Amino acid sequence: MSSQSEIVLTKVPVPLVAGFQWSVGELMEKFIKALADRKIWGVKCPECGYVYVPPRWRCGKCYAKLGEENLTELSGKGILLSYATAYVELDGAGSFKDLSEPKPIGAIKLEGADSTLFMPLGEVKPEELKEGMKVEVVWREEPKGELADIKYFKPAKR
Amino acid sequence: MRNVAIIGCGQTKHSARRRDVNLAEMVGDAVWNALEDAQVTPQEVDAFTVGNMQGFGGVAQPEQWLGDWIGAAGKPVLRVATGGSTGGCVAQAAFYAVASGLYDIAVATAWEKHSDSKEPGATTGLSHVALGNTINMINCGLSFKHLLSMTLVGAAAGVACYQAMYYMYRSGSRVEHLDMVAAKDRRNAAKNKYAHLQWPGCTPEDIAKTEWVAYPFRYGHICPASDGASAMVLACEDIARKRCKKPVWIKGLAAYSDEENQIMSEGAGGIGILDASQQIGATMSAIKAYRMAGIRDPQKEIDVAEIYQPFPNQELIFAERLGLFDEGTAWRALEKGETDINGRMPCDPSGGVNATNAIGSSALQRILECALQIMGKAEEHQVPKEVHNAVATGWGGATNYIAVTVLGDSPY
Amino acid sequence: MPYIKEERKETISVEGDWDIGGSTTWKDSTLLQGYAQGLKEKRIIGSLCPGCGKVIVPPRNICGRCHRKMDEKVVVSDIGTVTCFVISAPFAKGKMQVLGMDPVETGLVGEGERVISVYVKLDGADSNIDTELIGAKPEEVYVGMRVKAVWAKERQGKLSDLEAVEPLRD
Repeated sequence: MSSQSEIVLTKVPVPLVAGFQWSVGELMEKFIKALADRKIWGVKCPECGYVYVPPRWRCGKCYAKLGEENLTELSGKGILLSYATAYVELDGAGSFKDLSEPKPIGAIKLEGADSTLFMPLGEVKPEELKEGMKVEVVWREEPKGELADIKYFKPAKR
Repeated sequence: MRNVAIIGCGQTKHSARRRDVNLAEMVGDAVWNALEDAQVTPQEVDAFTVGNMQGFGGVAQPEQWLGDWIGAAGKPVLRVATGGSTGGCVAQAAFYAVASGLYDIAVATAWEKHSDSKEPGATTGLSHVALGNTINMINCGLSFKHLLSMTLVGAAAGVACYQAMYYMYRSGSRVEHLDMVAAKDRRNAAKNKYAHLQWPGCTPEDIAKTEWVAYPFRYGHICPASDGASAMVLACEDIARKRCKKPVWIKGLAAYSDEENQIMSEGAGGIGILDASQQIGATMSAIKAYRMAGIRDPQKEIDVAEIYQPFPNQELIFAERLGLFDEGTAWRALEKGETDINGRMPCDPSGGVNATNAIGSSALQRILECALQIMGKAEEHQVPKEVHNAVATGWGGATNYIAVTVLGDSPY
Repeated sequence: MPYIKEERKETISVEGDWDIGGSTTWKDSTLLQGYAQGLKEKRIIGSLCPGCGKVIVPPRNICGRCHRKMDEKVVVSDIGTVTCFVISAPFAKGKMQVLGMDPVETGLVGEGERVISVYVKLDGADSNIDTELIGAKPEEVYVGMRVKAVWAKERQGKLSDLEAVEPLRD
């Protein structure tokens, strides 16, 4: 019997994975399905004019009710507001591992939108990134109507 | 301390699968229904209290997603999570916010979206409650067979099984009485348009035909896992009297933990000295809440009760703990129809948790349903008598935590 | 179906996993380890509260009632009384999984078997332990039934040393 003052720390593998399936709601479903046609839907508040992407049915600024009639198509072009670059990722065992290539992630404001999208950035070196630079969407070769249809954003051609 | 009243109530339809909406939309629906009911604009609300069962639904910090969906952008938001009693504590937190004088109008909202979890057992949520103890026992060489016998039905149902057996043994009631409670609750739910398991004309015989889960429980006895949300608007006395024709006053409240009956308490220790049906936390909460509310004889002064009863034995146990019936006699009152919607002491006219269990929301719904009964707005499931005082419970934590709220048509 | 059913639109789902496994570090309980060690010698250890005199099995270090430290350990009997019982529905292959295992497939329970789970107050203890009742049919179990511990043949100082309880026959 071990003494009371001694604290034994034991590592136990726990075979627990909780799986989830978050339903997206009707406007978000429209947004995701439209990606198959390389279209990006936003929604414009009829009261305060704020444009959200992805779309939602309640304005978070003035709380007006929004609906399908307020949907508005946005171009795949925008401005990089801010960015971060990842050099490591979680290894799934409580630690980090180095990435083979750095992964930049950008906060992007699409043309005509007021809200911000967070998306991976590609075809660009981390040191070339600059706040305010123009970026554009790069689609997956055969978009299927899934969130992964947007591969990443890259610096826009002049 | 200031007087606090409920001036508006809102719910969503509850069902097994609310896949038409996402979490934020669902909770938003309940809050907007409550704001409309109270005739209050989101700009007028000073603070929000929110909550669901921790970990369920796979959203770690739901209040951060919900903020600007429920009108809380730029306002104080307090999240409360106490397991099954969450909704009761969310409402009590909103009471404190207003009673203290910090805020004049507060919104309390609680929810659960079970269908967002792939496993029926909501693995992550239950891990919060029992994983540490179980791992501790596995470390000390727990056998799989023992684990199996411990988890015959799993989670709260497992605890409630023992609770039901203890109660039946002590009171002399039988499984038939569980059938009667469940049938009554499903019939009541059929009159409540927001409820989940609605079975018009359900009889105890219908329930007795369902399969066993683990003796003494059949499938027909056990609550469903629901998706849904509920919300209430609370206000201080000045505003409540100006804005609402019939404000419902929160007259007394308390939430006690009954540490002694926890299963697998510290060090995976015993089941405790008290048996699972004693629920001293409920007795202590009721005494405190009644004293605060000035209620001396609950059997005479309480007109309707909304009891947190995912398992039918709990309606009987908690009704006794709340002093609505003498010790060990709730089942006799049930036999006489006293707990029916048109009975002397209606219990869960809404169908209760037995018919609708969106866990985080369930205890808030009990308070909300009491408020509807006092306002006279319960529509088809309105009890056919004058309601002056009502009592609501929540049961949660690690099955040991009870929140009791007493409501009335006057603050005194 | 007697239940009122309602059709509702189903929107698409985004899926994700929470891996709460991997390796997790838990503070080990010396109390429970001590209890398990006692089982090796067929000793069931509880702790005695100096305040209220209650004996809690398995031991704990602070009394939940009077909040006194429960340093004194006592040995209780391996004979006790059933205070509560629950009977499982008949087990069937593919019906349920515990920790990712099918109890019937692994041979732990037979097809159609009903497991009896009992709370037992051992003589000399004030709290209950939960365990399985073997050697009795579901219809034979009752509150107040006298039972005794069934010990593993080769005991290793693990919780599994106390396999179950069985009816006490004289």
